[in-house]
Order: sequence, then C-alpha cells, then structure tokens
Amino acid sequence: MSLTTTPTTRATAAAGAGRTGADRPGNGAPGARAAKVEGRRGRRRSDVALTAVGVCALVGVLVTVWLGLWVTPPDRFMGNLVRLLYIHPSIAWVMYICYGVAFLSSLAYLWPRTRSLRFDKLAGASSEVGVVFTGLTLVTGSIWGRPTWGTWWTWDPLLTTTALLFVLYLGYLAVRRIPGEPEVCAKRSAIAAIVAFVDVPICYFSVLWWKSLHQPPSIADPVTGKTYIHGSMAWTLLLSFVSFTLVYVWLVARRYRLFVLAEREGDEGLALALAERRAESREAQA
Amino acid sequence: MWRDALLVAGKDLRIEARSKVALGQVVPFALVVVLLFGLALGPAVGRGSVLSQAAPGLFWVAVLLAAVLAVQRSFAIEALDGASDGLRLSGLDPAGIFVGKAAAVAGQLLALEVVLAGAVALLYDRHLAGGLLLAASCVAATAGLVAVGTIYGVVSSGARQRETLLPLLFFPMVAPILLAATKSWDAALAGTPGRGIAWLDVLAVFAVAYLAMGTVAFGPLLEDA
Amino acid sequence: MNGYVEAGYVVGLGTLAAYAASLAVRERAARRRVGAGPAGTPFVAGTSHARVPGPDGAAGPEPVTGAPPDPASGDRR
Repeated sequence: MSLTTTPTTRATAAAGAGRTGADRPGNGAPGARAAKVEGRRGRRRSDVALTAVGVCALVGVLVTVWLGLWVTPPDRFMGNLVRLLYIHPSIAWVMYICYGVAFLSSLAYLWPRTRSLRFDKLAGASSEVGVVFTGLTLVTGSIWGRPTWGTWWTWDPLLTTTALLFVLYLGYLAVRRIPGEPEVCAKRSAIAAIVAFVDVPICYFSVLWWKSLHQPPSIADPVTGKTYIHGSMAWTLLLSFVSFTLVYVWLVARRYRLFVLAEREGDEGLALALAERRAESREAQA
Repeated sequence: MWRDALLVAGKDLRIEARSKVALGQVVPFALVVVLLFGLALGPAVGRGSVLSQAAPGLFWVAVLLAAVLAVQRSFAIEALDGASDGLRLSGLDPAGIFVGKAAAVAGQLLALEVVLAGAVALLYDRHLAGGLLLAASCVAATAGLVAVGTIYGVVSSGARQRETLLPLLFFPMVAPILLAATKSWDAALAGTPGRGIAWLDVLAVFAVAYLAMGTVAFGPLLEDA
Repeated sequence: MNGYVEAGYVVGLGTLAAYAASLAVRERAARRRVGAGPAGTPFVAGTSHARVPGPDGAAGPEPVTGAPPDPASGDRR
C-alpha cells in the first residue's frame, strides 16, 4: 500500500487523480498513474480547476440572483412569484443529476471491469449532495406552492415521489454508514443505490396512476411555469441551470475529497496502531 | 433453485413452529396496532365513521408494521450461532435462499392478514365484500412486501443498528405497495371490484419486479452479509 | 415582493452555503487529523511516510500547520 503518492493530501475527484492504494490495480486508471508520476503538479492543476469551478459557480449563482430578483420583470400571471422559478427547477435538475451519477457510478462499481472504490466514493458523494438538493427542491417548491396553490403541500405525483426520493436516499446514506470492509460496504451500497434508483420511476408511475385513476389534477403543474418564459427570463433560467450544475460539480468534488481523506485516515490509523503494537512487543521482548 | 427454496422455507417455518415468535408476538402486535387506530380515530359508529372509511388503509399499515417485525425475525434466526455462515457454506443457490426466506415470511404474513382482516371487519364495522379481489391483492401485495423485506433484511443484517435501519429502508420502498393495496381493498369493499383490478395489476407488477431484483441481488449481498 | 420569494432564495442559497461551509470545515478537520496523526511515529512495513513540505509548501497550505481556507471554500458566501 502506498500512501504517499499524494503527500499533502490534495487529491481531487476533478482530475480523477485519487489515491491509488486501495483501488484495484490494472483497472485502467491513467489519472492515478499520472498522479504517481507527476505528483504534485497534477494535484495542483486539479486544485486550480476545482477553484475555478467554485468561482464560476459562485459568480453564476450571484448573477442568477441579481437577474432573478432585480433585472427580470414580474410575470404577467404569477407576479413576483415567478422569481422563485429561477432557482427551483435548477435545484430539481441538479437533484436528478446527483441520483443519475450515483446510479451510474454504482453500476460502474458492480461491473467487474470498472470496479474501483473511486466509483463508490463518487456515488456516496453524489447522493449525499443529492439529498441536500432534494430537500431544497421540496422546500423551495413548497414555498412557491403556498402562495400559488394556497397550500404548502399537495399529493401531486411529482411531489409525492420527490418526498419518497428524499427518504429513499436517506436510507441509502444510512446503508453507507454500515461498518465493514471497504469492498463489502461498496458492493452493498452500490446495490442499495441501484434498488433505490430503480424504485423512483416505478413510484412515479404508481402515484401518477393513483391520481389519474381518481381525481383529475386540480392544480397547475409546476412545470407549466416555463411556458410563460421569454427573453431575459429564459436567459436567467439557463444561467441558473448552468451555475447550479457547477455548484453540484464543486460540492461533489469537495465531498469526494472528504471520502479520500477519511479513507486515508482509516489506513493511517491502522498503520499507527500496528506500529504501536509492534513497538510494544519489542519492548516486551527487551 | 426451487428445491433449495423449499428447504429454506421449510427450515424457517419449522423454527417458527417451534419458537412461535410470529404467533406469540407479531400477531398480537398487529392486533394492538389495530386497537390503537381505533383509539386514535374515535369509536366506529356505523358505515360512515372515519374508522370504517379508512379501514383498508389502516389494515395495510398494520400489515406493513408487522411485516417489518417478521422480516427482522427472519434474519434474527440467521444471526444466531453463526447460522448465516452455515447458510453461505451450504452450497444452496442464493436465489433459492432468497425465495425460500421470502416464502416463509410470506406464509406467516398471509396467516396474519387473515386474522387482521377479521379484526378489522369486527372492530371497524366493515363488511368484507369482494373476497376474491381481497385475497388476490393480499397475495400480490405480500409477495412484493416480502421481496423488499428480504432484500433489505440481508442488507441491514450486517449493521449493528439493524432494528432502526430496516424500517427506514423498507417503508419508502413499499410505499407504492401500500398505495395500490389500499386502493384495491377500497374498491373491493366498496362493491366496485372493477376499479380494483387495475390496482391488482400494479401490485402484481411490483411483486414481479421486486422478486426479480431480489433473486439477482441476493447472491452478492449474502456473500458479504 | 412578498416575502415568499425572499424566503425561497434565503433558504435555498443559505442551505447550500451552509452545506458547502460544513464540507470545508470537515475537510480541514480531516486534513489536520491525517496530517497530525501519525507524524513522528516510526513507521514500518509499507507506509513510507514522506509527509514533508515541498518546495512550494508556502503556496500550498500544509495540513500539519492548520491549513488556511481554500480559496474555493472561503468565498462560498
């Protein structure tokens, strides 16, 4: 096990230059190998890239807020409430990216040829960010729904399945915390992620049928807000999508780093304990 | 696979016959839940009361709560005396183990549902009409429930906090089953079984999907549990 | 505007900022632990523990000495 390819702990997900110790050898990780050779230079480059993403995300969000709150005109039908629609759909969009990435990387982990703990970490990072964004989707949607529909919550298919998503992935995060060997945990989590993801479309349809079989929807679909959007509103929304996606990239990269650090900490804790026990036995022999 | 499933199911049911945990604890627990709903939603007086209106939903919630306990019991017996190692080393087909364990829980749950249905009819003052649809949706819903329960039972069996983890994983996954089963029972009890058929289909789809998921995923999960 | 809009923006962006800040804090704590934990311990077998400040240590924050905030984490609102 070599713990020292990235000594000052600057490995990032952005460049794919994670640590190589626990990853299976020979799984086609040019980034990891390059990191070994280039060492600090590759790490610094990924750092710069991540910082750039962070700055872009921050500027993008700030400009979105500025455009959304002050520049764009109020909507003809919704008035100022339309301003909430500059952040709510993009947050929901990021939520889907999060779970999509978590699903794909879980699949990649289970696929023997691409099996690498990096995918496990990516899935964990992405779904944790996803839970945050799902919560925000629910809250911002609710804040929009209260003045628009006159209620904080309604049993609309979209809302119901989003709430289910939230608890499903909370459960997934709980599964990730089950202690065990890294490979065992990763496999278990990957299966849990896939099961949770597969459940989402099924849930959606079941709840859709539940509505369509019984009462006709009495409220406007949140998505219909988009149909009124023109000009500066469209640009603001587009910018919002882009900048929240950048926020996602930045957050996931940071979360991924945290996983890398925690893993290293575990390894070094073990190494430390081993060293101490060996020292003890030497003392006992002496 | 089917022979292995029979073996495992027989083993689990034999253990239940000797220990009588489901009979002595899970069934009384479900009855307590039914009573608690009665206390929470007021006395049932006649057809239009809240209790009688909500009877299908309450019945299925009680079944769900009992199902968690039954699944926990099903994996608790594997946790004792290194039984899970024995199961892994036995050379039985993992898919067979999955189907067997699910079938054993399903058998217990179906028996429980019969008792509970009687209790609901009696206590919530609801006539059990449309018996065929009721029974069919019970079977389909139970198949889905035990499939999800067995998948997550083995996932959480490695965790030290499995008592709290399993419900968190289980309930969101079976939410659609609760929905469909309630609707199906609603239709049957209201005397319009035609509306319930669609929901029975939904239940069947879920049962098949979750069972398929389980037979595929159980092997790798069991290896590491 | 009517309060709802402001509330939505504050809650949405505030939560994200809080989450980003928590990540930065956790990362710094983890770095400190990883950096400070085994320092000075004699190491055997496999863990060649070469955690020395490089020539550009002044530019890159050094975990042992309590890393200054990453530019990306510092300016997240």
